[in-house]
Amino acid sequence: MKICAPKDFWSGVMFCGFAAVATFAARGYSLGSAGKMGPGYFPLLLAGLLAVLGGALIARSVVLSGEPLSRFHVLPLASIAAGVCLFGVLIEPSGLVVSLAVLTLMAALSGGRFRLVETLALAAALIVFSVGVFVYALGLPLNIWPSL
Amino acid sequence: MDVISNLGLGFAVALTLQNTAYCFIGVLLGTVIGVLPGIGPVTTIAMLLPISFTLQPEAALIMLAGIYYGAQYGGSTTAILVNIPGEASSVVTTIDGHQMARQGRAGPALGIAALGSFFAGCVATLLIALAAPPLASIALQFGPAEYFSLMVCGLIAAVVLARGSLLKAVAMVVLGLLLGLVGTDVNSGARRFNFGMTGLADGIEFVAISMAIYGIAEVVYNLEKQQATGVVAGAVGRVWPSLADIKQCAGSILRGTALGAILGVLPGGGALLASFAAYALEKKVASEPRQFGNGDIRGVAAPESANNAGAQSSFIPMLTLGIPGNPTMAMMIGALMIHGIAPGPRVMTDRPGLFWGLIASMWLGNLMLVILNLPMVGVWVRLLRVPYRLLYPAIIAFCCIGAYTINNKPFDAFVMAFFAVFGYIALKLDCEPAPLILGFVLGPMMEENLRRALLISRGDPMVFLQEPISLAFLLVAAGLLVVIAAPAIRVGREEALRE
Repeated sequence: MKICAPKDFWSGVMFCGFAAVATFAARGYSLGSAGKMGPGYFPLLLAGLLAVLGGALIARSVVLSGEPLSRFHVLPLASIAAGVCLFGVLIEPSGLVVSLAVLTLMAALSGGRFRLVETLALAAALIVFSVGVFVYALGLPLNIWPSL
Repeated sequence: MDVISNLGLGFAVALTLQNTAYCFIGVLLGTVIGVLPGIGPVTTIAMLLPISFTLQPEAALIMLAGIYYGAQYGGSTTAILVNIPGEASSVVTTIDGHQMARQGRAGPALGIAALGSFFAGCVATLLIALAAPPLASIALQFGPAEYFSLMVCGLIAAVVLARGSLLKAVAMVVLGLLLGLVGTDVNSGARRFNFGMTGLADGIEFVAISMAIYGIAEVVYNLEKQQATGVVAGAVGRVWPSLADIKQCAGSILRGTALGAILGVLPGGGALLASFAAYALEKKVASEPRQFGNGDIRGVAAPESANNAGAQSSFIPMLTLGIPGNPTMAMMIGALMIHGIAPGPRVMTDRPGLFWGLIASMWLGNLMLVILNLPMVGVWVRLLRVPYRLLYPAIIAFCCIGAYTINNKPFDAFVMAFFAVFGYIALKLDCEPAPLILGFVLGPMMEENLRRALLISRGDPMVFLQEPISLAFLLVAAGLLVVIAAPAIRVGREEALRE
């Protein structure tokens, strides 16, 4: 068996994966009946449908040919996702200034050639703008500096 | 006349100093992000949702709406002058618009785009004012069965009109519906799909998931693509189109407006589809179609009128039924819910000031846009010199601040990171994210209505076929699926949606 449409195949796998996770997580939810639905009824209905659709995509991918996968750029994605997570970790204990500086640095690392001076200037500008607009003008409850 | 007194009330709300100011901020921001490629109205509205929480609901919605239709104006500016569509809905404008600019007719192209958009905006505003009240009063009589079938129909239509594979789009809708169910079940109090995380007790935050997909995943996706640098056309010159130009375009503007207004109301419609369809229609009806592609002014007038009409008329189903036709409308529903307003036909009767104020503000905003865009075109073009490498860290930073401040929950940053990775993979696999977002918004409503409908019918699923209105919606949905499966129409759809 040869996979002729990798994009279809892997989307099918992804959808089946989500369906499997949903079914597994919903194993304890009571089903109820159609007239009196429990919390598990609609989710399991959807998970079943998703599995069928994913299966259809996989089946189709061995019959019809499609586009090849383009290269995944893991590094920029990982660096940005890690930056976002770090922001979540840092925002409450360290405040806006530190977390924005870290985030900007992580984001800038992901885009081709790294320019230190430019990144620092950008981080400074973003910090000044965010503190001015979000904290002072809009009064959002954000820590500016690390709380000790 | 009801319409006049209602619009009077609307203008009284829209013309207060505060709301006029927010309308201006909205259209200004819309113009800016419309000009900039790589950042669209959905991302911008998602970034501003947390901020809108601090405003009055009227001011918030007026500002957010201004961003959407403002982006339609801004997008055409870049399309004409630099051959880069600032927004997806301006893709067709580049064909004739940039040719006109190369022939030294950039001024009239910009002028006719703005005038056509303004005309379309006025007509669409009036259309909303006329069509919304009867639609809302019909919708008030809908029971759960009708609502469930309407949502099925809406989701199917949105999928059929979307780009790419039908199978993948349906799967994305179903996945979106499932994701929408995460959190506490309102009926039983059972916690669903929280995977032991307390942060998921209230479900996945809408702002976090939409910013992850439309903000962060898009940024990563854009970073891979080579930055297209267009040639900025020379002097813009006289902006006002000549009388002959206007005469030539009058028909195109009228047809574009009509087509855009109709397509905007359909689920899955809105500005994007409207502009493509209007261009195709102009080519068909023109006496000498060979002019198209070589700088025909009608090729600018029709899609630009259509995308603005479509952008505005897509508010009709959102305002009257509470059903979003495209991701931008899903954002508007999100904004309503942040302010504790349940979207649906009751908004018009319960909050007339909000409803009519929003409509009146659209007319006001369109007027501002003409003034903003025509004399200040040079300023907007200069924005394009801002390199993307300076822009994208700012987008990511505002997404993070937005995701955190919506509930002051650091957990939402992790949710955002997860869905950013998911969104990137989905984009790589050609799975369009729009159906997922629509499903996500409709998931809980759909379950609730299915539950109620079957409770009333004592578990008999035939209820959806016995109620005539419900049956009609399901027949339309089935018809759409059959039609799209027919190969001949499929080819036509691919042609119409090809970029």
